Amino acid sequence: MQNSKFLLLAGLAGLLASCQTKDPEPTPYESGILILNEGNFSQNNGTISYLSRTSTAAKYDIFNQVNTRSLKGGVSGYTEVDGKGLILVDNSTAGLDQVEIVDASTFKSIATLKTPDIENPRQVIRVAANKAYISCWDVSGDFSAGTFYKEPGYIAVVDLGSNKVTKKIPGIRANEWMVLAGNEVFLGSRYNGDKLLAVIDITKDEVTQKLTVGTNPRPFAVDANSRLWISSGSEMIRMNTQTKAIEARIAAGSDATKTPSAVGISPDKRTIYFVRSYYDANYNSKGEVYSFGISDATISTTKPIVNRYFSSLNVDPQTGNLYGTAVPSFGQAGYVLRYQSTGALIDSVKAEISPAGVFFK
Amino acid sequence: MVAGLCLGWMGVSYSALAQGGQEPVSLSVVTVRGYAAERFLAGQKVQPLDSATLAQFRYQSLTDLLALNTPMLFKNYGPGQLATVSFRGTSANHTAVLWNGVNINQPMTGLTDFSTIPVAGFDQLSVQYGSAASVVGSDAVGGSVLLKTTPDFRQNGLTFFAGHQQGSFLNRQSQAGARYSGRPGNQWQVSGKTVIYGSQLTNRYPYSERKYYYLEPTETRQRGLLQDLYVRNRQGRQFSVNAWLTDNDLVQAPADSIGRERTRTQNYRLMGTYEANHTTVRAGWFRDVLDYAKGDFTHPSHSLMDRLMTRVEHERGLMPGLSLRAGAEASHYRTQVDGYGGQVIQENRADLYALTRYQGPRWLVSANLRQGFATGYRAPFTPSLGGEYQLIRQTTWQLTAKGSVGRSYRVPTLNERYWINLGNPDLKPEQGLNAEAGLSARTTTAKPWQLATELTTYRNRVKDWTYWNPTRNYRVENLQEVLARGVEWNGSATYTQGHWQAGLRAAYAWTRSTQERVYDVYAQDVVGKQLVYVPLHTANLSAFIKRRQTRLTVQTLLNTKQYITFDNIQALPAYTLTNLLLNTQWQWKAVRGQVQAQINNVFDVLYLNVRRNAMPGRNYALSLFLTVNTNKNAKL
Repeated sequence: MQNSKFLLLAGLAGLLASCQTKDPEPTPYESGILILNEGNFSQNNGTISYLSRTSTAAKYDIFNQVNTRSLKGGVSGYTEVDGKGLILVDNSTAGLDQVEIVDASTFKSIATLKTPDIENPRQVIRVAANKAYISCWDVSGDFSAGTFYKEPGYIAVVDLGSNKVTKKIPGIRANEWMVLAGNEVFLGSRYNGDKLLAVIDITKDEVTQKLTVGTNPRPFAVDANSRLWISSGSEMIRMNTQTKAIEARIAAGSDATKTPSAVGISPDKRTIYFVRSYYDANYNSKGEVYSFGISDATISTTKPIVNRYFSSLNVDPQTGNLYGTAVPSFGQAGYVLRYQSTGALIDSVKAEISPAGVFFK
Repeated sequence: MVAGLCLGWMGVSYSALAQGGQEPVSLSVVTVRGYAAERFLAGQKVQPLDSATLAQFRYQSLTDLLALNTPMLFKNYGPGQLATVSFRGTSANHTAVLWNGVNINQPMTGLTDFSTIPVAGFDQLSVQYGSAASVVGSDAVGGSVLLKTTPDFRQNGLTFFAGHQQGSFLNRQSQAGARYSGRPGNQWQVSGKTVIYGSQLTNRYPYSERKYYYLEPTETRQRGLLQDLYVRNRQGRQFSVNAWLTDNDLVQAPADSIGRERTRTQNYRLMGTYEANHTTVRAGWFRDVLDYAKGDFTHPSHSLMDRLMTRVEHERGLMPGLSLRAGAEASHYRTQVDGYGGQVIQENRADLYALTRYQGPRWLVSANLRQGFATGYRAPFTPSLGGEYQLIRQTTWQLTAKGSVGRSYRVPTLNERYWINLGNPDLKPEQGLNAEAGLSARTTTAKPWQLATELTTYRNRVKDWTYWNPTRNYRVENLQEVLARGVEWNGSATYTQGHWQAGLRAAYAWTRSTQERVYDVYAQDVVGKQLVYVPLHTANLSAFIKRRQTRLTVQTLLNTKQYITFDNIQALPAYTLTNLLLNTQWQWKAVRGQVQAQINNVFDVLYLNVRRNAMPGRNYALSLFLTVNTNKNAKL
């Protein structure tokens, strides 16, 4: 082991030269839960809080604590690739977005990816050793003029060896959600006009297919039977990743105005959880959490697991516990509520501004 | 600065220093007709800014001037970008900005973007602290900013002036104009001023980030035209016309043809006034145009607001020392705003008021009443009572005690009522109750030492505080109740010896402003917390040393951390900002020149704007201002 050898040498040196030793780098964020706080968009105040599985209090803004500078935008995504964390940071001013690459266990900054490589980063996934894909909308235009989403968006290919963007793969408009299955990445979109799902060959870093599947296709998991699950409009779609054939379209309840807005899969990859949400007359987001099995022919929405709306729903792959994020407003701290998979409430932890996702490590 | 503070003290008409000079000259022509409105605010603090300070900030916006000379706080989005005020712990809607006595807060948003008001746009400025609804009307909850233009009948002839400032980052400002005064006949006197100004802030920073914080690429172009004309006769009748046209054009991320954003604001302000026999009649037309576009600038979202107003006031002495001013004002608003769904919104507002002022040997008392009216809702009745008493009146110094209590209100803005989906036509006007007390002392001897100090404490409770409720997708509701209380201290000292003069002015404010009402389950995390962007402590200090016409000034501003979330878990860090200015002037025949060199942010401090992007580091500016008087006999 590199580390113990170093320690031994250091110990010897310490004996000889009156304690010139350096303690091994503490690794406070080796395991646990990272809460991704989106922040309030115009204030550029996204943060990441750390929560250990056994604690009921989160440590705030850990990037700032370690690096004595804050992230400079909303946090739109996070993942870890072979010991490195990639934090997607979305600034409200065009041209100021970036990706902070940190040591995943200490959160020390290693490198920063910037414009023009990164523009409106949305999601990051690991696709191979030291290789990540970041879906980017590219520069956004005027929403009211219909030019908000640039055609097409792109995928930034990041080499974590050099910490550089090596390629920008033209994707689809408003490309966002990505799921890796075998050597292919399935790429969904937030734009509801195109109904496209793109397929990227990760060995070539090219889009090989564009499939019309439905409104806002959001691929989110590969189940125990190697099937891809996509939430689209008020439907859940099951797709064969080999043939790309849609095997099932299952209505998530009978009311098409209520749509799955947050999704997750159990550790055994046999149960899917989702938040079915809608706006009430007072513009409040409402909804409940439901679940169904990957082989079910229908989805029952008669009895929710949790009768509460969450802005995101996350399933801990180690424990199977559900983590729902609650956002009172973009102006005050939100909460992460922990439930057993049965829906029994465990506890509630105060996070930071607009918790919008959780990363389990 | 110091001299201005002393002269502007109660009981003296508005005074100003001759531009750049030292001798006070009373601008008595207008003030003999009646007291300026703020004279009816006995017991409240009014701070005039002297003309030497205004001259130093001649090429800057009102934001810089007020931030460095008053406890007013600015939510600043960056150089040349939106800057809104928080005064005495209130929100940006709670400071009335008056131009020649008329509220010019934009009716759509109910606030003023201080970055669009250049110091070149007015002749006099004073800041009135605390609620003044009875005298000023709506919006005067935290305080008021009073901008005025004034005639100068004394100086016959024609005076031309022109100036230019060149700053770092390829930023530049220019202005040119003329003042004229004369007697076209035996009966008549004329005085006028014409000014054009323009600025180009290109903000080409040599760095794209500072200590890992980005600077925002923005460009701001500003243009303006001022025209004042006053005509009076021997019988004391005076006609005047004041016009102020402004055009402010801000582009964010200009190099990015898709993501760039343009905000263009144009204001047309035109007012006519007739004054005779203690009666004043005004009529005005105000137009605010706002265009916003992203990416493609050819089809912006367009907002147009027109306001026609008229006001009649009469003032008379009821008995020695007691005067009464009664007035009525009516306004008609007509707005066409894309965000209101294409409908034309029209509404009428009116005010009736009666102001009284009694000045005794040691007493100054005012009692005022105002009732506002507006289409669609009932404005509260807003009385106020204030008084001042000279506790000590020695030959060398004076000590005065002050106190006042008054109600305030704010008419909901048009956005708050009419914005599609989010606006709430059933909003109630906010209601406030402000009480304050203070002590002020000053020396009354002439040189060498002149000292003045003032201590004020206040408590201002605002009910039905309007809130773009973020928990309901920013729908507007009368949800909150805010209690603002604080202490303000300021002091000044000037020492004169021969050709030398040194002065110091310091001000400190402690502002505690909290939301008090629980209206939903999550409000528990917000109750009792400091309002966002209101630092608990703020201080500024200005010191100068002067020999003959050359003056070196240091200006410092300190703000402690400003919370940016309602539950106070995040804050912008505290910062101290220091500027250094050196200016001098000279006279050569009919030409007077003034040159000023300044270093802004001397210590290259990193501080952040509202979007948490970096503000610029140390930067420089050099400016020149030339005045030419064509009347050979005139003394400049």
